[in-house]
Amino acid sequence: MSEAPAVTIEAITKRYGRTLALDAVSFEVRRGELFALLGPNGAGKTTLLHILCTILRADSGVATTNGVDVAKDPLGARRNIGVVFQEPSLDDRLTVWENLNFHGLVYGVPAAIRSKRIDDMLAIVELSDWRDKLVRTLSSGMKRRLEIARALVHESRLLFLDEPTVGLDAQSRDRMWRYIHRLREERGLTVVVTTHYIEEVENCDRVCVIDHGKVLAIDSPQTLKAQHGQQLLRLVPRDDATRAEILAAYPDRIVRDRDELVLKSDGDAFVESLFGKFGLRIRRLAVEDPSLESVFLTLTGRELRDQAASARDLTYEFGKRGGEHTK
Amino acid sequence: MTQAEARDQQRFGLMLQLGGVYAIWLREVKRAVRDRGQLIGGVIRPLLYVLIMGIGLNPYFRGEIYGEVKFVVPYTYLQFIFPAVIALNILYTSVQSAVSVIWDREFGFLREVLVSPLPRVSILLGKVLGGATVAMFHGSLVLALAPYADIGLTFASVAKGLGLMFLLAFALTSAGVILAGRIRSFEGFGVFSNAVILPLYFLSSSVFPLDPSLSSAQMRVVYPEWLVFLVEINPLTYAVDAMRGAFIHFNQFDPRIGPVVLIGMAVFFFSWALHEFRKA
Repeated sequence: MSEAPAVTIEAITKRYGRTLALDAVSFEVRRGELFALLGPNGAGKTTLLHILCTILRADSGVATTNGVDVAKDPLGARRNIGVVFQEPSLDDRLTVWENLNFHGLVYGVPAAIRSKRIDDMLAIVELSDWRDKLVRTLSSGMKRRLEIARALVHESRLLFLDEPTVGLDAQSRDRMWRYIHRLREERGLTVVVTTHYIEEVENCDRVCVIDHGKVLAIDSPQTLKAQHGQQLLRLVPRDDATRAEILAAYPDRIVRDRDELVLKSDGDAFVESLFGKFGLRIRRLAVEDPSLESVFLTLTGRELRDQAASARDLTYEFGKRGGEHTK
Repeated sequence: MTQAEARDQQRFGLMLQLGGVYAIWLREVKRAVRDRGQLIGGVIRPLLYVLIMGIGLNPYFRGEIYGEVKFVVPYTYLQFIFPAVIALNILYTSVQSAVSVIWDREFGFLREVLVSPLPRVSILLGKVLGGATVAMFHGSLVLALAPYADIGLTFASVAKGLGLMFLLAFALTSAGVILAGRIRSFEGFGVFSNAVILPLYFLSSSVFPLDPSLSSAQMRVVYPEWLVFLVEINPLTYAVDAMRGAFIHFNQFDPRIGPVVLIGMAVFFFSWALHEFRKA
């Protein structure tokens, strides 16, 4: 059994009413891998994770974790996985230690091992000094760390993290990833993480790009960049006439047409010819080298950030561009 | 798998269940102990009902109507309402524990338990036992007022009373879980719980007796028929009656009915709650 992949997913389909949340998704996660599910909000990442944690049942298809079928033996499957959900699931009115001890009891960790392991885990996530504090007094970054520690109290070898860094400031995010990498090295963990922060998946072994319930690509970040990566030009035309002309001139190259135009580029020659034609009628131009960002854009025609932009962000963006006075 | 291995695994399974039920029970109790507001409610309520309402109404409870003696009652009003106040305290606390179910659901803690290897039945059992323990504790707080209500406590009456309190608390906490499953918001719950608790309480023959010395026909002369009917179909009536039997040795109904109704309620509500919980 130790040879079995950590996770196998075969043709998993899930519907919510008329929307198809997952459309015959299949892939495997190898043992010891740091595997990322990358996609915008609503892509189906969390649904997939919930199926793997046995909270949801798939409509069809087979999924296993550590070789155990999650639909046939949910209790058995749960015993060997650790989960950190997107929303915090700690008890605010218990102390740090009590939360961990609760977890240990519920997972049947014998008392002798339990207290030792709790202390170890607290040390790793640097919360030892907080062990007797009520959880409600912790910052959100600390709560997240505590949740990771908790997910490992029962010596799980497979860890699911659903958007572990969402809502954290940059510093806490870096710290979070340091712990994840460290735990992986020390304990040979398999980690499956969902995220919509593209910069976070650069360090993962493999990335699964998912959108509208479909797997678009699975590979290492390097290979993805080599295969789907594309030099992109982001440009803002001076006026609408120019925009229309550019759209007409390069119909095959357009990736996106919103405030700024995004065009596929294949090198300096193209940039020069574009400049030759439009020159000063282009207000702003940026050349973007192949990145996971551009991979995602070429695969989906969307930017990850599109999904995250709230009304407030949009107003902020508008203000940054000069607000009303740009017209 | 050899037989020994199978046995080991079974034993591990059992230990896991017990440990899990204990963990959930412990959490409920700890949370309740840290919740000062709930404790204050548990202390104020009996003071209000026993010391203020009980003492206030005590002189008017003499079994006579317009100077004509109709009832011969072997107890004072204070003694009469004392067991009912215990039931009231249990009722409030049990239903409040349903709030913690909503809380867990809305704030994610439920997820932590749902992805654990504990089956639903153990999760629910831990939850209900925890809530019942707290409710039973609040019920027994009332016992501190026994001297003021002229109630002599013996070891036997306290032991019997605690047993009945536990059954009632277990049944009502299970009912609270069912309620919580149907309520989507805290706001809705407040209204709903008052709309359930107070009618149940006042219709349980808690503050006025259905006198046993009167025949059913005579009783309907004293009280309107609909009121007698509502009191008689309220299961809480029989729980209060059983507790009255334990503390003041007085029963309006056959003394065997109370415990049977209580056990029936406990089994019925727990099974129903389990059914709902498995669906969720």
